Amino acid sequence: MRHATATTARNLGLAAPGLLVLGIFFLLPLATVVVSAFSGDAMRRFFASAELLDALVNSTWLGLIAGLVAVVLGTVVALHLARLPPGRRALVQVAIALPLTFSGLIIAYGFILVLGRAGFVTLLLAKLGADPATVAQFLYSRWGLVLAYTYYLSPRVILMLLPVFANFDVRQIEAAESMGASHPRALLDVMAPQVAPTVFAAFALVAAVAFGTYGTALALVGSQINILPLRLYSMVADAGSDFPLAAASSVVLLAVCSLLMSVAEIAAARSEARHVSA
Amino acid sequence: MSIQVESLGFHYAPSHGAKQGAGLEGISLDIAPGEFCAVIGPSGCGKSTLLRLIAGFLSPEKGRIRIGGEDMAGVPARRRNLGIVFQNYALFPHMSVLENIAYPLKLRGVPRAERHRRAGEAAERTRLSDLADRLPSQLSGGQQQRVALARALVFAPRALLLDEPLSALDAAHRAAMRDEIRAVQREHGIATLHVTHDQEEALSIADRVAVMRGGRLLQHATPHELYDHPADRFVAGFVGHANLLAAKVTAPDEVSTPVGPLRTAPHGQPLGATLTAMIRPEAVRVLAADAEPDLPNRFAGHVSRDRFLGSLRRFDFSVAAVGKTMGGKTVGGEPIVGETSSREAITAIAIPPAAVHLLTDPSSTS
Repeated sequence: MRHATATTARNLGLAAPGLLVLGIFFLLPLATVVVSAFSGDAMRRFFASAELLDALVNSTWLGLIAGLVAVVLGTVVALHLARLPPGRRALVQVAIALPLTFSGLIIAYGFILVLGRAGFVTLLLAKLGADPATVAQFLYSRWGLVLAYTYYLSPRVILMLLPVFANFDVRQIEAAESMGASHPRALLDVMAPQVAPTVFAAFALVAAVAFGTYGTALALVGSQINILPLRLYSMVADAGSDFPLAAASSVVLLAVCSLLMSVAEIAAARSEARHVSA
Repeated sequence: MSIQVESLGFHYAPSHGAKQGAGLEGISLDIAPGEFCAVIGPSGCGKSTLLRLIAGFLSPEKGRIRIGGEDMAGVPARRRNLGIVFQNYALFPHMSVLENIAYPLKLRGVPRAERHRRAGEAAERTRLSDLADRLPSQLSGGQQQRVALARALVFAPRALLLDEPLSALDAAHRAAMRDEIRAVQREHGIATLHVTHDQEEALSIADRVAVMRGGRLLQHATPHELYDHPADRFVAGFVGHANLLAAKVTAPDEVSTPVGPLRTAPHGQPLGATLTAMIRPEAVRVLAADAEPDLPNRFAGHVSRDRFLGSLRRFDFSVAAVGKTMGGKTVGGEPIVGETSSREAITAIAIPPAAVHLLTDPSSTS
């Protein structure tokens, strides 16, 4: 017993520096934000503001749509990659992971260079008779945001799904086909139910990222589109006077992201429990 | 229905990697309706490739596959109507035992109540009724195997393909499952191709056995014929145990071998021909020390290795007159492997001339 206590004490001692950093740079700021969000009428004012509620709705839309597009695209690409020989797969994987290393601002800048008012593709399309302003308008709309988000969300989806698809036992598909199933039917009946929890977890993860991110949006659409992260940014950066409201917005943002992430975690844990028992 | 394979040829693309196994060359094989055919051979001999070609997972480069007389060229796997049991069973982990068995019926549009009734019957026949609601992960290997078999047969397929279905089971269950597979196959009266690397399994289960090596078919015969009259040295060594001695014909009923001259039945081989003499261990007779001194192919010597196998004793017998004798021990010379149930000391053996089989083999490389 004394030995166990000593071990616990030593372990706590070793963990102390880490706990200290966690406390000062994560728990303390978080607590400050939460306390200031719920003291006074900040939270009430958030939900009374039509503009902020509109931002919440827009952000949710953006998160769900960008997440959905990224998951559909990522699933198709991952399915294809899973069928490549391992050597070539690794090579393509490196290329796919590249966008993950870019910051949101750089990605936005890249899209402006391609599809902006003087963008490369915009000018090419202009030669074919398209109106450059219309083309560029697309990029600065919310669908433009979906496009840019998809660009850096789909690699996350691919990297999450690829191991699951690559390790899937193709003999199950062959077995289903030998019993009379077409290939799409075999995928739907046999593979889809088994990979669905992971695909859903990937969706929840990228939807949370799309919901909370602001760098790309800031560079592309500035204040033209009313989304929660940009609202929060302007509250903190420009006006900077209403900190309780900023704190309330933060808490809402955090709550939605946490909700999505926990849904993803539960889905992943469930599929894992199933695989372990298998 | 029958399975007919005619001069089948297939090669894997080089990029596919070597682990996929060898290609095939000129394979012809007939499996009659209701016949159980086992395909054996060392790994990489192409036996699994043959199964995958018949199943329709691969397309042959040359030759023809007919099932029930119908040419399978261009017919996809799903339209071939074959029941397949995979090495790892390939059960669907998210479906219960009953759902697994009912799945082929679901694909055929059988209404839910009807397919559950038929799957339930199939489960009952394979003693799975109590487990119908379990997931595959909650079953033992033998139970999973029975589910796979029931699932492969529930839709009355034209033929049954078994891809090493017993290799994942331990020895005790393997023998029991072997009998069970054979019983189920008989009951359905269905042409069956059973791929295995276990020659004992093949001999005990099959009506006929095909031996493959390096993508070629060496022999296709009944288990008895394969054992008694192997086509060549490789088949003789692969199927059961065998003494294989280099032999040279010295008389119409005699050959010379490393253990000395051996009398044979009249063999009709030309004088001076080099052959392989095959003697099965159980044909070697154990003699009392002084008994029957005039018996042909009688050898005196001693046991150099002794293996007690329970009902049987397998021994290596070193012939005294062969090799150099150094300090009372014989050095060099091939021992003769024999089998007996006797536990006495062995100092003399005899090989009945009729038990010496001469193999002429074009592929005498191994």
